[in-house]
Amino acid sequence: MANETKNRKGMMVTPELCIGCRACQVACKSWNQLPGTKTTNNGTYQNPPDLNSTAFNLIRYNEVPGQENPVRWLFVSRRCMHCEEAGCMTICPTGAIYRTADGAVAVNRDKCIGCKLCTNACPFDVPRYDAENKMTKCHQCSDRTAAGMLPACVKTCPTGALKYGDRDEMIKTAKSDGFKTIYGEQDLSGLGTVYAFKDEPKLYGMKENPTIPGSVVFWHTYLKPLSFIGLGGVVAAAAIHYLAIGPHKEKEEV
Amino acid sequence: MTNHWIDLKNADVILAMGSNPASNHPISMKWIMRAREKGAKLICVDPRFTQTAAKADLYAPLRSGTDIAFLGGMINYILEKDLYFKDYVVNYTNASFLVNPDYKGPADLDGLFSGYNAEKRNYDKKTWSFQLDENGIALKDPTLQNPNCVFQLLKKHYSRYNVDKVVDITGTPKDKLLAVYELFGSTGKPDRAGTECYAMGWTQHTVGTQNIRTMTIIQQLLGNMGIAGGGINAMRGEANVQGSTDYGLLFHILPGYNPTPNASLVDLATYNEKNTPKTKEPRSVNWWSNRPKYIASYLKAVYGTAATKENDFGYSWLPKIDVGQNASWLMIFDKMLKGDFEGFFAWGQNPACSGANSNKTRQAMTKLKWLVNVNLFDNETGSFWRGPGMNPKEIQTEVFMLPCCSSMEKQGSIANSGRWAQWRYKAVEPIGQSMPDAEIINELFFKVKELYKKEGGAYPDPIVNLAWEYGEKDAAGKVKHVDVHAIAKEINGYWLEDVYDNKVSPPKLIGKKGDLVTSFPSLQADGTTSCGNWIYCNSYILKDGKEVNMMARRGKDDPTGLGLYAGWAWAWPVNRRIIYNRASVDLQGQPLDPKRPLVKWDAGKKAWIGDVPDGPAPPMGTDGKFPFIMKPDGVASIFGPGLAEGPFPEHYEALECPVEANAMSKQRVNPTIKIFGDKMDAFASCDARYPFVGTTYRVSEHWQTGCMTRHCSWLLEMQPQNFVEMSLELAKDLKVGNGETVIVSSARGEVKAVAVVSERFKPFKIASSTVHQVGLPWHFGWQFPEDGSGYDSANLLTPNVGDANTMIPESKAFMVNVRKA
Amino acid sequence: MAEIVRKSSVDEILNHWILAGSCILLMITGFAFLFHMEAVASVFGGFNTMKEVHNWGGVVFTLSMLYSMRHYLKDAFEYDADDAQWFKVAGGYLSHKVKVPPMGKYNPGQKLYYLAVVGAGIAIALSGFAIWFMKDNGTIMLLAHLVHNVAFCIFVLAVPVHIYLGTLANPGTFKLMVSGTLPLEEAKRRYPKWMKAAGKM
Repeated sequence: MANETKNRKGMMVTPELCIGCRACQVACKSWNQLPGTKTTNNGTYQNPPDLNSTAFNLIRYNEVPGQENPVRWLFVSRRCMHCEEAGCMTICPTGAIYRTADGAVAVNRDKCIGCKLCTNACPFDVPRYDAENKMTKCHQCSDRTAAGMLPACVKTCPTGALKYGDRDEMIKTAKSDGFKTIYGEQDLSGLGTVYAFKDEPKLYGMKENPTIPGSVVFWHTYLKPLSFIGLGGVVAAAAIHYLAIGPHKEKEEV
Repeated sequence: MTNHWIDLKNADVILAMGSNPASNHPISMKWIMRAREKGAKLICVDPRFTQTAAKADLYAPLRSGTDIAFLGGMINYILEKDLYFKDYVVNYTNASFLVNPDYKGPADLDGLFSGYNAEKRNYDKKTWSFQLDENGIALKDPTLQNPNCVFQLLKKHYSRYNVDKVVDITGTPKDKLLAVYELFGSTGKPDRAGTECYAMGWTQHTVGTQNIRTMTIIQQLLGNMGIAGGGINAMRGEANVQGSTDYGLLFHILPGYNPTPNASLVDLATYNEKNTPKTKEPRSVNWWSNRPKYIASYLKAVYGTAATKENDFGYSWLPKIDVGQNASWLMIFDKMLKGDFEGFFAWGQNPACSGANSNKTRQAMTKLKWLVNVNLFDNETGSFWRGPGMNPKEIQTEVFMLPCCSSMEKQGSIANSGRWAQWRYKAVEPIGQSMPDAEIINELFFKVKELYKKEGGAYPDPIVNLAWEYGEKDAAGKVKHVDVHAIAKEINGYWLEDVYDNKVSPPKLIGKKGDLVTSFPSLQADGTTSCGNWIYCNSYILKDGKEVNMMARRGKDDPTGLGLYAGWAWAWPVNRRIIYNRASVDLQGQPLDPKRPLVKWDAGKKAWIGDVPDGPAPPMGTDGKFPFIMKPDGVASIFGPGLAEGPFPEHYEALECPVEANAMSKQRVNPTIKIFGDKMDAFASCDARYPFVGTTYRVSEHWQTGCMTRHCSWLLEMQPQNFVEMSLELAKDLKVGNGETVIVSSARGEVKAVAVVSERFKPFKIASSTVHQVGLPWHFGWQFPEDGSGYDSANLLTPNVGDANTMIPESKAFMVNVRKA
Repeated sequence: MAEIVRKSSVDEILNHWILAGSCILLMITGFAFLFHMEAVASVFGGFNTMKEVHNWGGVVFTLSMLYSMRHYLKDAFEYDADDAQWFKVAGGYLSHKVKVPPMGKYNPGQKLYYLAVVGAGIAIALSGFAIWFMKDNGTIMLLAHLVHNVAFCIFVLAVPVHIYLGTLANPGTFKLMVSGTLPLEEAKRRYPKWMKAAGKM
């Protein structure tokens, strides 16, 4: 286990390097054969407005007040975070959501039953369901990485705002490059998509202290083992009772 | 580009002005970001806070159309603060040249230069000349003190552009303006490199050429030309627009930037006499003195064996323009509207959306008998007759659609902004009946030739004499399929005879008949060589007996570390990656900037090391040549007498502008622009009906009129509709909400757009008034998406007035109104 | 021939086995979901069909449970002093030597068991339907998921006990739950208070 974590691959997003060209959005659709959808301009460059079953990643365009200029325009890649403690994977009743050898959280369409529990267990509101009621999301191009290629979005990113590689090493490099905050380094035991920031992640609209819903943790930690142990315990108790005390005996008629 | 894309990484300061590389040239931004990672500073000067501004270390807004004022102020600042690179200025520019004492500038003539003819709206440029000595060589004052030397005249001219005046014109906050001046001015030191990236934000103005000229003066003063990390870099908006210009797509040039002959140049000798620059300066290479060789070789490539010495190599068959005729875009559609054309090939373009004042363009097409639309998709041009406001019953134009295939469906070369010619391969087969453009031309050519042969016609010679050896022919003599390698080799050129160097004894064979020419110094004026485009000579050569396509090379070695990648593809001329690179060394040929040694003279070996130098001559300080080999004087022109408006750029307002008067002079607009005056040519300046400055631009998701990209659902999804960006302040005044559909109108037309209200737009303080600016992309059109949800083209608003030199329309600064839909 | 007494009506027997069958089916599929048992899922033709089986099995279970109230609900709420004594001797299950008080038709263990089934059953059914039909409400989904699993734990503990007591621990009970009848003598012996109430004793 420890060894696996050590070699964990991951995605490093550096919004400071992102120029908002959105080649990543197109590359993702191209590789994953996802159609474009009908949208309208909602008064922002951000489109589609949020992740959907045909948009596994998107650039968020955040305008925040600036000091040097009236405004700062921040471009942030939004996508699955590939949490080490993945709420979606924990709650998935079929094992359709699984971890790849490289550490990505991926979905096996055949096993997905469309229950949507993952949607509610995800701290980042990532899972989306397609027309066939199958969960879809970024899988870090596990089909490409398994073949030694970079994820499509990383491959196309012109500025290195998206990187893929050894997670620990990328974090080390980012820190030595002066990025004080690595968002996701520790959260949920370490996200598979980490972000390098010089400012507060909050400024970029990152969720503070992401957690898996308490009920999911409780269920996973206590109830799930209890049901199994409980079954075993009851069966064992019955067996002991049968052997030690024995079945009810009809008493002789008085 | 004087430099190339990768070279942006070598800069210390990058000025993005007149461009938005982050959005429109993302790959350039890759190298800009690399430079920044090494500590370089990015400056963005733009009317709006762009994606580039978002990445910039320093952002300064300016009102559209005031770039010369902004940059003129920078020249003044550089001179006042002594930031210029004196040795460079003295040795490598014409700063020391003494100008004709009769020359007068705007400081003397209230905005005009000497020689203005108000009636003709042009200048007699006689006084814009240098004083010559008895040998015909320009007089110089290397101390730069003579009041008539270029340097002093420059000082006088730009002393008028003081900071307060500039701020009043541009609306730039004073602290930002000074910060830009200081930072870019810091590159005047020999070991500092500053580069400039521009695009349509500079060219699409009535003063477009002069915008760029102003920057060239700055770059000369700072010693930033010809060095790694320097230069002036025109970022081409289309993958191959550099190539199309190189190959003479424009009306006034033949391939290789040779001028199009006009009717007065009756024979080749006259053409050569008039067009070949001369110099008496013995140390100037004056490369254009070779023009007769390039023209003769070009004619041999075009007309083959039909071109003989006796018939001037077929010079008379070349189409001629009338003396003084301008046959550029705006003129074409003006004439088309007047009914001067029968037919029109709209080849790989969409004038119904791309032309300034598109309503005029669309109306013009109704006057045609026929229109051939060669494109990947039907578009607003092919379907103009059923467009908004058109009555198909009244339009007699017959439209033919010829589907051509995309760049992925054919092989060939493209030339990028860095002048690299790169060979590309076919990825997929063409769809349906679509054909590569070359095949379409081939079909057309043989059909037209057949008709000329059969029917004679007015002047069949230029067609029937064309050499067309582009592949295997059928029984009727028609080329079955075009072999693009044959074209590439024709462009490079062949030896047509065995040619000997007779200067040595015995004469030495320098070229064998039928072989490819190695490079353009070998080209001959006597018809013994052919070459389709002299600047591309050396792109397809004979090496060790084998033909080598230099453009297909994929070498990844970079021994200098400057990113020259000399083994990757091929750059014109002769694989030189940074032109005028001999200006990067001192008089002894040693790099001025030891950190970025682009070329270096090895005195022992008597050879240059590094990039391919501008000629093999030794350094200027020894017995060598001047570095700016394409200039007749061998030096760069701070004083540039060639342009229409004057030798020094002067600020004039856009034809449509928000101010009553030009703060610099009485000349409100460029005095040399052509103003169209018919009913479809409406303009409105300082008109209450159109109170806001408008500008157009592109977004990364779409390409040009969007003909290709709107059909790609992935891209349309990201930018689905025409939009207009405006400030919160303006939106409040107009009571327009973010995301609400509005109508933007100008004196020429109107278009629907979704309001994008943002802090990224801010009103400008111009002198005592407030000026609002809005901006629209021009990627949309009524024809697709078919439900019309994308709205129409922003070019319905833009004015059909052009730059005085190039006639590029002023689509970056015009006046509009915005109202609720 | 000895007199035969009917303890359970035919529809009650039928419903019991429908309830029991659906419950076991739901538990098996539930376990398979909980622990991603692919082998079990493959028996049903994969997780997708197993989900359908689980969902529709839930419908059967719910209806059957509701119907069962007709048979047991009233009794399940009636307790007397003997019932209290029954608890004191733990129904005689921990020692054969203790004296178990006379019982009616159902002993209090059975009655409580039934209440547990109904209580947990309603919870599991409601939460199950919520998971099935209210996917877009995150709060309800998560709450339902928790409730479903808590109830499941109750079933996991209770159902095996019931099976054991109804088979190995009490010989003859299983046969009774199949036929619904038993000899009068046996009924008098096992359910004296019921027989008294029925006037047979």
